[in-house]
Amino acid sequence: MNNDWKLNGVSVSTGGTDKKQLLKDVHMTFKAGQITLLIGRNGAGKSTLLETMAGLRHVDEGAITLGDAPLWLPNRRKQKLNRHVALQYGISLQSSESQWFASTVREELLYSLKPYKVDEESASKRKAKVLAEVGLPLELLERDPWTLSGGQQRRLSLACLLACEPDWLLLDEPTAGLDAVGIRRLCAVLEAHRAAGRGAVVATHDLDALLPLADAVAVVSGGVVREAAAAAAVAQSAAAPQALRALAELRAEAAMPPQVSAPLGSGAPWPAPQEVAAAIAAELHARPRRETEAEAEKLTLTRKELQLADSMPADEIVKELSSAHAGAELLRSDKFDPRALVIVYMMLATSVLAQNSVLEVALSAIISLLLLIPFRKLIRPWMGAIRAYLIMIAIFSFIGGIAFGPLSFDWEKVWPIWIRFSKLLLIMLLGMPMLKLMTPLRLQRAIEQTLGWLKHLKVPIHSFALIVTLIFRFIPLLTGEWERFAKLAHARGKASSSLRTIPISMFHAILIPYVRSILRLAEQMADALEARGFGLASRKPVYGFRLRFSRSDAKLIGIAAIGSLLIFLIAALL
Amino acid sequence: MGKRLGEKILEALCLIELKEISVTPPVMNERLQPQSILKDVNIRVHKGEWITVIGRNGSGKSTLAKVTAGLRMAGVKGKQLRNKEILAHGRQIPIVMQQPEASMIGATPWEDVVIMLEQNGEDAATIIERAEQALKLVGMASQMHQSIETLSGGQMQLVAIAGCLAVGSPLLVLDEVTAMLDPEAASFVLNQVRALHQSGITVLWITQKLEELRPGDRIFAVNEGSIVYDGEADGWFSRSDAGATDSLCERLGFEAPYTAQVAWSLESQGIKLRPFPFTAEMLAQAVKRYEQ
Repeated sequence: MNNDWKLNGVSVSTGGTDKKQLLKDVHMTFKAGQITLLIGRNGAGKSTLLETMAGLRHVDEGAITLGDAPLWLPNRRKQKLNRHVALQYGISLQSSESQWFASTVREELLYSLKPYKVDEESASKRKAKVLAEVGLPLELLERDPWTLSGGQQRRLSLACLLACEPDWLLLDEPTAGLDAVGIRRLCAVLEAHRAAGRGAVVATHDLDALLPLADAVAVVSGGVVREAAAAAAVAQSAAAPQALRALAELRAEAAMPPQVSAPLGSGAPWPAPQEVAAAIAAELHARPRRETEAEAEKLTLTRKELQLADSMPADEIVKELSSAHAGAELLRSDKFDPRALVIVYMMLATSVLAQNSVLEVALSAIISLLLLIPFRKLIRPWMGAIRAYLIMIAIFSFIGGIAFGPLSFDWEKVWPIWIRFSKLLLIMLLGMPMLKLMTPLRLQRAIEQTLGWLKHLKVPIHSFALIVTLIFRFIPLLTGEWERFAKLAHARGKASSSLRTIPISMFHAILIPYVRSILRLAEQMADALEARGFGLASRKPVYGFRLRFSRSDAKLIGIAAIGSLLIFLIAALL
Repeated sequence: MGKRLGEKILEALCLIELKEISVTPPVMNERLQPQSILKDVNIRVHKGEWITVIGRNGSGKSTLAKVTAGLRMAGVKGKQLRNKEILAHGRQIPIVMQQPEASMIGATPWEDVVIMLEQNGEDAATIIERAEQALKLVGMASQMHQSIETLSGGQMQLVAIAGCLAVGSPLLVLDEVTAMLDPEAASFVLNQVRALHQSGITVLWITQKLEELRPGDRIFAVNEGSIVYDGEADGWFSRSDAGATDSLCERLGFEAPYTAQVAWSLESQGIKLRPFPFTAEMLAQAVKRYEQ
């Protein structure tokens, strides 16, 4: 049976307004019965490719088929995941080991099996089988998955995949956090999977462990995916495998004859330790005839090249970052004093609010928008919300303008609504960049320096420092975690509802694990902070820096003052 | 006499000594037997040393790190001696752990280190200078005011390490800081910390990856809560007989570095390389120098 996985011109980009292309026109065929490695640097798109194949990301263009069936079914306007196809693969996401849904290992395995509608008897058979395969004792069935050690949790997540007996395994960094024994077991599992005629696609950095197993290698770089020979692929990876490093060193020192090369037939493009040893032994016995130096130079992989490949990424990162931040001086979070920002906001908001006619509001809109131009980058993330608000204004104005008996449209009634909502919109727009222009710590310092006298009234103003910063750190984690859970619900529960949302039927199953996971996150954070020594000193608060009004603050206030004056002046002249 | 002098110098250099330390956390569930995470551990940490603590998942190496750092924990028994320098530091020694994001609380690296110093109650006048100096030391000077979210995992770990340097910690305790990083970030962090060690800082480096070993490291191998090896790499890799596969490294189920496997294979052909090579550079040098 043809069960190959075909990607035909697939392109994927990030959702939202800030569209960034993650995968570009990918043409790939993954053959059944083969293990394909995905390699490439961090952020190259390996995880995106796996998630796209598993239907966890919408494709902008192109088609994905497994065997002869499409992954996405055309369904009215929205695409719908082909459930029949979805049941043929199992995907393990990065760090999926730390998100458990059930209270025991047994139920956790059953949760994965649920979409497959396996009867009870074969389910318990499968459970025993997969636990043995990944090397977990049967006694663990009644344990709470959260109480397992990190390595055991990794194995359990693999067991959950295997229990479904999928034709395809999609694994993202399966060796991360596994010890040597765990890695050997994983390799054995993959080999058995292949021997059964099934396929796997594995994204990994661990070439030492997995390249010897691979039948094919695909290099992912900047969203482009292409097939590569194993040997060429090595050069693309972030760090050269140990073997190649050793060979390069040996050759650079002319300590080894160059003819040792990868044995044909085995997966790894490097010789086994025994072969290298044999070559070295031969070389040592043949000394002092030193003819190898000239030959050594001809070699393709020299130490210099390896080092070059090593040092490149760091430089690249620095370059990318510095270019991204050049010219962003104005937008830095420590450019302005939060107090100056608050004053500016108050001034502009007052002058906008004070306007009452359509003309006046339009005028203040023009001036506010002009003032916002340098900060437009900070507003962009909110474009969706702004658009929705504009539509809302239009609808409200329209409804407000309709008059019944006789049915007519009354513009006189529209303007007051329009004025009120537009003023609110302007105030919101003015406030948006503020959040990005100050950090929680600087905000805290501003409050402290302005309201510090409150501590004489026994208001514990200084203990807010840590709390404020912690709360702001934690909020993004909450939403991030929810999105991860949504993804997981689709990956394991095979939900075919729209992505990024959790189907109602799974809500009850997810809510408690989500809360638990949040609590764990908080605990992890508390542990890490305690380990770093936070919260031990109980002395007087210390302030390493104080905010000072700078020239840029004065400039900002000056410009804002001119702006609001203009609004008032022109409004008075009108 | 000379021996005694040597001992005295070692004693003077001893930062921390743990004697017969056991850790048995209390259990909530009555049905379960309390299990010891550490059993009768004796170690000494000397000034300027690089100690690589190796152990498999769940072997107790993280607990060893916490006890060494002086973290308060339930169920710790035994004697802990700390020298003046450690005591002068007062509070517990900061530990950097696996998850890079978890311990970042500032919005920028600069803020993160400043908050850490402020929370530690350091002298306010020098905080900024010390924070910036520490960030420079770990090579994060140019990214000092960049938003934390734009940093890579490896860079976050360096920021956390900068925090430890800034508070003047006499010992860096790094608990698998490269475990969650990709190889390139991992080697970047390792190289930075190696450079810090070169400048005289004592490092306790906890890891599962033997390829992170370097010549001159002292190894603590932890297995099932006990220290099963304390010494240099030579002993860790040494086999009783050529081809015997009975080195501690193998017996404890660790994947030996490729170069070590080559060297073992050479041994069984009668070629003994010394010092025993476990990095690519060492192997090449040893082969070059080898004389029959």
